[in-house]
Amino acid sequence: MTKKLKVGFYGITGCAGCLLSVIFNENEILGVADKIDIVSFPFIKERQTDEPLDVIFLEGVVANNHDLETLKKLRAQTKVLVAMGACATTGGTPALRNFQDPHNFETLQYHKAIGIADIPPQPVDKFVHVDYYIEGCPPDKKEILGVINDFVLGKEPFMYSKPVCVECRKNKNPCLLEMGQPCLGPVTRGGCNAVCTNNGLVCWGCRGPASETDVTFKEMVSLLKVKGFDEKFTRDRLNTFAGWEHKEMEETGKNEPHS
Amino acid sequence: MSRTVELNTVTKVEGHARLLLNIGANNEIRKCELESVEGSRYFEGMLKGRQYFEASEISSRICGICSCAHVAASIKAIEKALDVKVTPQTKVLRELFTVGERIRSHVTHMYFLSLPDYLGAESGLDLAKTHRKEVLQALKQIKLGNDIIVAFAGRDLHPVSATIGGFLHYPKQEQVSLVLARLKECLPDAVAGVKLFASLPYKDYPRKTQFCSLIEDGRYPLMEGDLYCSTGERFSEEKFDEFFKEYHESHSTANFVVKDGKSYMVGALARMNNNHQNLLPLAKKLVKESNIKFPNDNPFLIPFAQAVEVVHFMESSIQLLEGLQVKEEVPVKAQVKAGKGTGIIEVPRGLLVHEYEIDDKGLITKANIVTPTAQNLRLMEDSIRDYIPSVLKLNNDKLTIEIEKLIRSFDPCFSCSTHFLEVKFEGVRNARASDSKKDN
Repeated sequence: MTKKLKVGFYGITGCAGCLLSVIFNENEILGVADKIDIVSFPFIKERQTDEPLDVIFLEGVVANNHDLETLKKLRAQTKVLVAMGACATTGGTPALRNFQDPHNFETLQYHKAIGIADIPPQPVDKFVHVDYYIEGCPPDKKEILGVINDFVLGKEPFMYSKPVCVECRKNKNPCLLEMGQPCLGPVTRGGCNAVCTNNGLVCWGCRGPASETDVTFKEMVSLLKVKGFDEKFTRDRLNTFAGWEHKEMEETGKNEPHS
Repeated sequence: MSRTVELNTVTKVEGHARLLLNIGANNEIRKCELESVEGSRYFEGMLKGRQYFEASEISSRICGICSCAHVAASIKAIEKALDVKVTPQTKVLRELFTVGERIRSHVTHMYFLSLPDYLGAESGLDLAKTHRKEVLQALKQIKLGNDIIVAFAGRDLHPVSATIGGFLHYPKQEQVSLVLARLKECLPDAVAGVKLFASLPYKDYPRKTQFCSLIEDGRYPLMEGDLYCSTGERFSEEKFDEFFKEYHESHSTANFVVKDGKSYMVGALARMNNNHQNLLPLAKKLVKESNIKFPNDNPFLIPFAQAVEVVHFMESSIQLLEGLQVKEEVPVKAQVKAGKGTGIIEVPRGLLVHEYEIDDKGLITKANIVTPTAQNLRLMEDSIRDYIPSVLKLNNDKLTIEIEKLIRSFDPCFSCSTHFLEVKFEGVRNARASDSKKDN
């Protein structure tokens, strides 16, 4: 029998939703714990290891120097680093503030713990190399399981690259965009089975930009302008989960997420 | 000789925190600081300038484990600001997904974060080797909670179908029946949970404090009611600001909240202390059969109070679901106008407050969110400080473990606690905050 993979689940600044998504595989989690060696998981384990790891799944955004130190330490500790969830992959909601009116934050004054200082919130690949990405806020818990299984089998994890509209149409949902709602499905990476639009909610773009789409960020802005949503509204929406990606793609003119 | 204890990562809690203790040569406690080291996310600033209908989707991201709570409180506050009156069915469905979240959050804390402390295990996964039956019962209840949320709110984390005025999507009748059947099936597991948590060797640590919760006449509170403090005061939720004061501690990125200059407790134990007479029959009977009495001052009993609540809310959900025929209703439309709304609900860890001011274009001009852990933080520090003398004989490692158990009992959520207070530079609120610190 081959040796079990040594795996760690960690979080930096975030909401713990991704780590919960791992545990919320209620029927499978004990089986997972048999297949891999979960040696670190501070959220649910008292003791963690400093030994080298095969894989680390990391939730959260780099928002202060404490996060950055943790991130660098974890990167050095593991062969494979998986950025899990929107905060880690695209900056998520915490990174939205980089793209908003700085006046909004002027009165929010705060004293930090000694030695703690803010860093403008950024996805982890701004600082270290990331091997794989699991997108979404929250990430699909079955997708996390799938990636773990791929590692166990020595397979390369698959990353969905088509827009949300593909799955949404397959599910025979009425098109919310056609109904005049500000749906970001056309520019957003699918793989979520269109869970929001299945439930009547427009896509907010939580899985970041789709690489295989014909609709550009600028076209999305003009499309929604026609529907009565001004540019600020649409940009705010696009920036709610993936501001850094949209900014870079707009600057480079290339549709290459995580490049 | 003085001793210093630094616990850099408090494990088995939500989010990131550390504890700094310094105990002098005469056993005087020179320093007792529980620090949140979560990065600041400035949600209240991010909500400014956004449309009123965007608040719930964004503020949901404050917390994974209580995302439904943030959505529900946010919607309640906005509806108040815009005078939106929802249908009785909407209220029932909102209660159901909030209860689903209550079940999974409590059970996660009880079995995965707290129970290992009492059964000598390192983690819930470790526990699965020695107490598989209990762990499987826990996972079954977590799945039930998640299934309820999926049925009534579309997704288990960061729910999608709840909206201002109602719902964007409704469960099919088969789903409703399935949830009811699953609740009945899981109720014995929840009962076993109460019995298990009644039997644990809790430290006897009575510590008087103020217990604050919602209160409703004849009903265990969830999403409606007045604010109530065990000192006997009762007031409407709009008066939250008058009774509770927020301030920052220089050592933490989180906010602290005090009432009358003193720390207070919110959460399952506070709710039980203020409302145990309104528990449903089975939950009430189980409390009676245990040798634990309410009101109770021992914070180590929070997981027991949670276990009782799980039974109560399963009973209440069964009542709501029996005979429920879900109709597809169009959400009540909000008429945009300038206004202010406060929404307070009971969430797994206690009172959650969302407050918004909206202008006549529907843009949010001010947001204030006060989370349960922000309210409990000060009490946790005070409780640790008072607890230290009883564990002083232990060496640093063991002392740390004992204090960590106390912290864990509170079920803190440091992701949530990291939130910003709007500082008025005129110093009104600040001055009060520093006054209240002097009082202690």
